[in-house]
Amino acid sequence: MLTIAENINVMSKPIGPAMKARDKKPIQELAVHESEQGVDYLDLNIGPARKDGPELMTWLVQTVQEVSKVPCSLDTTNADAIAAGLKVHQGKALINSVTLQPDRMQKVLPLAKEFETDIIGVLWGQEGMPRDENERAVHAVNLMMAANELGVPNERLWVDPIVSPVSVEINQVKACITFMQTLQDLVPGCKSTVGLSNISNGAPDELRHWLNKTYAIMLMRYGCYSAIVDAFDEDLLALAKGGKKEVIALVHKVMDGAAVDPKSLNPELLKYYRTAKVLVGETLYSASWLEG
Amino acid sequence: MAVEFVKQDYTGKIREVTIGAGDKAVKVGGANSYPFYLFEGALPNPPRIAWEVWDAETDQWPEACKEPFADVLTDPPAWAKKLVEKHGAEMIALKLVSIDPNGKNADAKSAVETVKKVLAAVSVPVLVFGVNSVEKDAEVLRQVAEACEGRNLVLGPVQEQNHKALGAGAIGFKHTVLASTPIDVNLAKQLNTLLGNLGVKEDKLLMDPTTGGLGYGIEYTYSVMERDRMAALVQQDEKMQQPLVCNLAPEVWKTKEAKLSAQDDPKMGEAKTRGITLEAMTATLLLLAGADVLVMRHPEAVAKIKTLIKELSA
Repeated sequence: MLTIAENINVMSKPIGPAMKARDKKPIQELAVHESEQGVDYLDLNIGPARKDGPELMTWLVQTVQEVSKVPCSLDTTNADAIAAGLKVHQGKALINSVTLQPDRMQKVLPLAKEFETDIIGVLWGQEGMPRDENERAVHAVNLMMAANELGVPNERLWVDPIVSPVSVEINQVKACITFMQTLQDLVPGCKSTVGLSNISNGAPDELRHWLNKTYAIMLMRYGCYSAIVDAFDEDLLALAKGGKKEVIALVHKVMDGAAVDPKSLNPELLKYYRTAKVLVGETLYSASWLEG
Repeated sequence: MAVEFVKQDYTGKIREVTIGAGDKAVKVGGANSYPFYLFEGALPNPPRIAWEVWDAETDQWPEACKEPFADVLTDPPAWAKKLVEKHGAEMIALKLVSIDPNGKNADAKSAVETVKKVLAAVSVPVLVFGVNSVEKDAEVLRQVAEACEGRNLVLGPVQEQNHKALGAGAIGFKHTVLASTPIDVNLAKQLNTLLGNLGVKEDKLLMDPTTGGLGYGIEYTYSVMERDRMAALVQQDEKMQQPLVCNLAPEVWKTKEAKLSAQDDPKMGEAKTRGITLEAMTATLLLLAGADVLVMRHPEAVAKIKTLIKELSA
């Protein structure tokens, strides 16, 4: 699974203020650090950037590319800012993202064609968040048709089913997994991505990585092509690259409902086991889920 | 060919919790199937009703609620006694409304006096409610706990923010804790876990899922209670196997629909019948969702619900 580093984000300190002040140093340090972690893309999230979007994205892309060869994912709802970033980006960037609002599709999809880039299509419909796997399927097909019509083939489309927190609604957690299993039948040849850290939103900060990693394993099992991740979660990056076979096998067992004796597990595996039990919906989530 | 009925395979059971002390103590919980699924399991302790007694501000009650208790509305011990002797109440839910920092803001000492007087007047189990103020409830209910050792009161609402103070008080003076969370199954589990870590025993713990009245989001409570019971009964979630207490009376009777007089809006019909029906319907829904204790107010609504419980448990 490819990884897109989420850390260059206008919402974070000190990155947000540095963007505002056009202070290269903290951003370049972070970009170097993320790149050294071996991620595949650097997400550059400038938020809605209503005021100076194009200028900020241009500056940010150039700033990052001065120190890193890792391609960028241009993350904003401002279509003009994306266009400006694409103009100066060296190599093949990723557009993050388009949703199913007609005006957004009309504005953003043509950029993917014009600049021959890949594009993330978030399954956010006109009525907001999809309620289950079926609504996700409808959105995915509609997005594919709109993209194809505007000259973007399936192979360039990275479908994002929208991961939502386990502390909010377990059925949505399950729906993303179910959806991932059918995606290739719906949009043949497409790619996929998820905002992985959403799964653990609301969980105690120091424990969030257990949810992120375990959910990544579950999604990867059904071919999830990429994920937007915390670039400093080294276990997660190892998992994405196919490491930690024992952990992966254990999580698959839990997904299959196979018998596992928790007493046979070492403390690390036990944490994956308990987290997987929560994410498949067998154990009710609470902030103390790791305690069993 | 005979039809074979599909049966749910239950792996868990709701714990039994004893409320109160002495020969009037009441056992709640114990079910090993979904609510009233007598064709699948047993209901050793049918749901019970705790009757409301307020220690202040009953002047703001709708007329229909004041009428049956007009002679005792400002006298909590006499009120509790009347409930037991005249209405056959098996449990009292004493609401310490007077301590509300946004209201009379009475001190802990006077609240303790009220509780002691009520306990002197009746020997049935008493659930003592604060006012959902994290600090004030912690201060008052702790002192109530200390002053009333031996009566095994139910103390609530215990929230995550005051669970340590109140949990410790309940453990120290041997009372039962009512853990209250805002209509959320995950938070409910977390609070039970925290109280367990603190040392509150499973047979001293009740859950309040929080409810609205009919028409005020009760479907959310219904779904959360359903999830609570599923976790407890079919998912072996040991943290969720506690009996459920639904504090519905104040939610029902504070609504516009329950309070509005027929003169103010003739098409709404007679106020008393309307309010009683709303309370009874709310209680019915909560029973079907899995309530073990219903906190109720109007005698006629209670009568309807008692009949319903009897029929559903037979």
